[in-house]
Amino acid sequence: MKGFYAASILCSWLGIACLLTSVYQLFAAKAALQPERTQRLKSALFDFVIGGGFFLLAAIIPHQASRGLSLPVFWPIMPFAAWAAFTFVVLALVEATNWAFLGSKKTPLYAIVWLMAASLFFWGFKASGDPLVFATGAIPLSIQGAVALAAFAVAALFAMAGTSNKLRLGGYARVLVTHLTLLVGCVVFGLPFFWLVITSLKEDRDMVSANGIIWVPKVQQTFSAMDTVPSIYATSFEGRAVKVEIMFKSPDSSARVNVVSPAGIQGLAFDTPLSKLHQVAVDAPEVTGKFKGLNVMGYVLEPFSDGRQKVKVLTPQGLKGQVFTDIPSNLEPLRKVGLRWENYSDALEYLPPEADNGLTYLKNTLLITILSVIGTILSSSLVAYAFSRIRFPGRDVLFGILLSTMMLPSAVTLLPKFIVFRQLGWIDTLYPLWAPAFFASAFNVFLLRQFFKNIPVELEDAAKIDGCNYLHSYWRVMMPQVKPALTVIGIWTFMGAWNDFMGPLIYINSPEKMTISYAAQLFAVDRATEPGLIMAFAAMSMVPVLLLFFFAQRYFIEGVTLTGFGGK
Amino acid sequence: MKRAHLFGLLCFLTCLCSAQPKEDVIIWGTALNENSQGQQAVLREFQKRHPEYNLRAISMGAGGTDPQKLMTAVVGNVAPDVIIQDRFTISDWASRGAFESLNNLIARDIADPEDPLPKDYYPSTWQEVTYDGQVYGIPAEADNRALYWNRALFRQHAAELEKAGLDPNRPPRTWTELLAYSKTLTEFSPDGTLKIAGFIPNYGNSWLYMYAFQNDAKFISADGRTCTADSKESEEALQFIVDGYQVIGGYDKARNFESGFLSDENDPFILGKVAMKIDGNWRLNSISQYAPTLDYAVDPAPVPDARFKHLGRFAKDKDTFITWTGGFSYAIPKGAKNTAGGWAFIKFATSVEGRLIDSAGQAAWDRYKGRTYIFVTQSNKDANAELYRIYKPADPKLAAALKTHIDLMSHARVRPVTFVGQVMWDELQRALENACQKSLTPHQALLRAQHTVQHELDAYYDHTKHPELNLQVVFWSFVAAGVLALLVLVLLYKRMKLGKLHRHDAKWGYLLISPWIVGFVVFTLGPMIASLFLSFTEYNDLTDARWVGMANYAATVTSDKMNVWKAFSNAFYLAGVGVPLGIFTGLAIAMLLNTRVRGLRWYRTIFYMPAIVPTIPSAILWTWVLSADPSRGLVNSIWAETIQKWISLPAPGWLQSEAWAKPALIVMGLWGAGSGMILWLAGLKGVPRSLYEAAEIDGAGPRKQFLSITVPQLSPIIFFNAVIGIIGALQEFDRVYVMKPSSETAGPGDSLLVPVFYLFRNGFGYFKMGYASALAWLIFLIILILTAIQFKLAPSWVNYEADG
Repeated sequence: MKGFYAASILCSWLGIACLLTSVYQLFAAKAALQPERTQRLKSALFDFVIGGGFFLLAAIIPHQASRGLSLPVFWPIMPFAAWAAFTFVVLALVEATNWAFLGSKKTPLYAIVWLMAASLFFWGFKASGDPLVFATGAIPLSIQGAVALAAFAVAALFAMAGTSNKLRLGGYARVLVTHLTLLVGCVVFGLPFFWLVITSLKEDRDMVSANGIIWVPKVQQTFSAMDTVPSIYATSFEGRAVKVEIMFKSPDSSARVNVVSPAGIQGLAFDTPLSKLHQVAVDAPEVTGKFKGLNVMGYVLEPFSDGRQKVKVLTPQGLKGQVFTDIPSNLEPLRKVGLRWENYSDALEYLPPEADNGLTYLKNTLLITILSVIGTILSSSLVAYAFSRIRFPGRDVLFGILLSTMMLPSAVTLLPKFIVFRQLGWIDTLYPLWAPAFFASAFNVFLLRQFFKNIPVELEDAAKIDGCNYLHSYWRVMMPQVKPALTVIGIWTFMGAWNDFMGPLIYINSPEKMTISYAAQLFAVDRATEPGLIMAFAAMSMVPVLLLFFFAQRYFIEGVTLTGFGGK
Repeated sequence: MKRAHLFGLLCFLTCLCSAQPKEDVIIWGTALNENSQGQQAVLREFQKRHPEYNLRAISMGAGGTDPQKLMTAVVGNVAPDVIIQDRFTISDWASRGAFESLNNLIARDIADPEDPLPKDYYPSTWQEVTYDGQVYGIPAEADNRALYWNRALFRQHAAELEKAGLDPNRPPRTWTELLAYSKTLTEFSPDGTLKIAGFIPNYGNSWLYMYAFQNDAKFISADGRTCTADSKESEEALQFIVDGYQVIGGYDKARNFESGFLSDENDPFILGKVAMKIDGNWRLNSISQYAPTLDYAVDPAPVPDARFKHLGRFAKDKDTFITWTGGFSYAIPKGAKNTAGGWAFIKFATSVEGRLIDSAGQAAWDRYKGRTYIFVTQSNKDANAELYRIYKPADPKLAAALKTHIDLMSHARVRPVTFVGQVMWDELQRALENACQKSLTPHQALLRAQHTVQHELDAYYDHTKHPELNLQVVFWSFVAAGVLALLVLVLLYKRMKLGKLHRHDAKWGYLLISPWIVGFVVFTLGPMIASLFLSFTEYNDLTDARWVGMANYAATVTSDKMNVWKAFSNAFYLAGVGVPLGIFTGLAIAMLLNTRVRGLRWYRTIFYMPAIVPTIPSAILWTWVLSADPSRGLVNSIWAETIQKWISLPAPGWLQSEAWAKPALIVMGLWGAGSGMILWLAGLKGVPRSLYEAAEIDGAGPRKQFLSITVPQLSPIIFFNAVIGIIGALQEFDRVYVMKPSSETAGPGDSLLVPVFYLFRNGFGYFKMGYASALAWLIFLIILILTAIQFKLAPSWVNYEADG
């Protein structure tokens, strides 16, 4: 049963992966040329079919086991001796493959030595009787299962290596070791991302765990009930739909109510006529406990302030509808594997009202980034063009000055710039964050000038004969020639503006003008005790940049090699 | 710049505002979280009663606003109307002229029942908001400290306590008793580490101040001009702390013990690992939430024996027990646009009624969440009485504890009211550390602190000796010089012998580069000159500038030597360890990927992705990934499961520990090694294969090939990376700002203090524009020197042949 469940989950993940690849292939096909294009379209279709198949499988495989099992997160806990034995076995394997496929002479001897060392350590490990644990916090794998998994991994790696036609480089073993190392590296680099996503989807109670990180989030199972105490009512407040609880009723058939959701105005109390209140069902948490000597399952009817909970029984049938009260340590909350997506909506709801669920931040940030990109590209290219193609007195001196400003750390001009913007009355406005972009940055001018210099002069001359002035030939002839460089500069500027933190920190004071990065920092401080919300907010603030990365990865990589640094 | 100017602007803006039907009242310092429900209730009630105002409460970070934020707002003429601020900092702000005096407003509204008057408040709280005879804030919440003792532990050790002649049914009342109880209750594990600590002097919330106040130490003279940190009284207090650590096995042992402490339900006091501690009333909340059944009691903290018996200098002192109070207050910043609205709100919020509404709001919320409501003690005497009447907890333990705290309010002392409060705090902290580690005697440690603080005081009171400057004149003379220079250039151009076509070209050239010229003058050259000029002045933007000559630069190597040295050494640590490690990681991945491995693009994407994650979210992510608590942090939980189990090496404290904070930043930096990897990959592709083939024929092994082909071929990129990396490390700011664990300090023991952060703090936190400018030039100078050295050394190892 557990196996079925795991297989089912695995299938749906594989399905998602296939569908994603399919979408990616479609996009790639759009940009590709003819022979490659058909190829990509074909593989898109193929991936789509395979993905669908996986989904079907996931649906077919019965997954009745709804709790108690977690995905097999492979995290072996072994004592030192076991690790040593494992390492020596791997070494022996490497030597053996080298011998088998490359005909190396001495290696069998080494393999035997490694194997002997391995068995020695294995004996030590056995003798010590230390526990061997796989996948902490998740299922304890049996030794057979672990061996099977290892065999599977090795087979997969061999298959990958087998398809490689670069065998001459050093045999399967080398390829295998390379892949293994790279895969471990990928896990290390990807783990924080994974943890971010998992944490952003966890319930609060899963955040802290004495038995290591909880990798498989669970959510509370709920029962939709109308009879819980307090009752929850739907009504509207200042035009907003809200859910409230009644604090007390007044004699004049009105009531003082207390907002329960949305989270942003939780705790707000107001008076409203009873006629405007409509009772709604509450998702009451389900718990299991003991009642009349039987194991029962029910939902929480009313929590008391001293911690006890009143529970209404749902199963078994015989006791259905009966009510009992118990202390929390006797009531086990019923939870199922699942993701708490509410963290994302809550994170947005908890923002100040001016933020309009975070849209204001997004709008401000986009405004700054877009204007910065436009400003930088226009001004830098104009200046670079003038420096590369037009002769005027003092050009070289001015260019020398421009180059020397690249050395100047921004710290030097930080304070006087503040005074300049203050005199302009620009404090607490967005201007200081984008206006300077329209005045050309030294580094971009320098970079673009190199590109302009490489364009043959004849192109421009031809345009001049056609009666173009400098502006025309800049725009019509030169700019199209340096598109890749402009894209790279655009991306760097985008990243720089999006990441800018010190600017908003100094210049922005009100929530309606805040940018995402500054808001994220404030949010992290404000909500220091709720990592789920913080991680959800952090994840959301990463998304636009990651999207840009996936669609323009080529330019990112070009940009690194072009400029010599990673834009950080 | 000038006050008159500011005032004119103020009037103008006030006029503008009054034209509109609703005036905004902007309030800073309110939090937007679970514990601010009371504050929200007060805001809503005020809004209801005063429809003429439009209240806008803004959270600028929990628990008070970042000082830098408020200062930039005041200087930038966008100050809020009300700021809720830690009371302790009021005098500091007032001394810099950043707050409005409230004396006139209080006097004006004397007839108003809501008008806050000193007689309604505990003297110490009112004293803390008064600076130079002027009131700058109205106190609201007030906390204080008392002795929390675990009755159950006392009972368990009853026999031993009685043997030592101590009563197990009551808490210690004098310092001597306290140490005796601590000695009896302390238990050690077989390996010599602490198992149960009787009393850790500086655990909880006591610091040196608590003991010094009990011993009547004064830290500053009555006129505020002389620091008296080193007195017989304070030395005795510090000696008591040192003795207290001696009783439980020494300072280091106690610190090791403390490093394993967790919060909330794993609070060591709750778990019975600490028998007694001095802590504030806020602690009652977590005890009632996580350990409602804990058998504990709260009593006044033990005092010096002489005080308890009213002997010697305490003979005439009425107070037997002494506590130390802190808390929040409401103030109006300079330049507030709606003083009337702000004052109306302050009066309402700090009145007894306002305090009751606050409590009612929070109480309703806590009840809704199923928690016991424990009210926050106030600075207003009547408010406390009322609150105790209405919200007295049903649990007699809790009620008694609250009563103790309220009764102590009348015997409270506050930290010295001086603008050097923060420096004093930092210095006393350092003194405590030095004395407990026995590197200095209490006398030496306190004397050193006194010197540093006195230096700050002298600098302030002596600053009038420097000549005043009129910045307007300076500015316009610079502008005039600029115009003159431009005229000369134009004249030169006119006199040049150029052809017509050439002149036409030149016109276009100047036109097209004009964006850069303007930008250069306004955003680079102008600020550079200004920065250089300011570095010779003392200027805070609110008062007049003074010419101090080289004093700012001198300060970086004399009075402020410690901080500056710390900042730069931290940066060198980050660069010296971080840059080579980053290069190594990136190069290693690139070399693995360069073996014509299949799936290169996938691997490359995965390794590169972390490098493009925006800085702030990734810093936030890593603060949690590197959380010291193994039940929360990703790294430490894995560490606890593996390394700790295999070789019993405890997990590092990362950002919470002085030694590991910088490695934490470096580890996070390695995560972004992907951008370097791309560069290395491109470099490796450029290395001619023929070189390797030739080497293979010569019989060179892989290591030899790496050292004599790969490294020399890549040396230009290695060099470039090293230069950029070191410059980057010297300009580190964002990550430190986000990842420092508390807003007051730059990491534990200033271990994350980096140059730009220090500059930012001086510049925008204290608006020491002159000193910050000097720091900026110091950073520039050091970058220049480092780069020059690197270029000087480069020819000996960098191989440019490949480029040619």
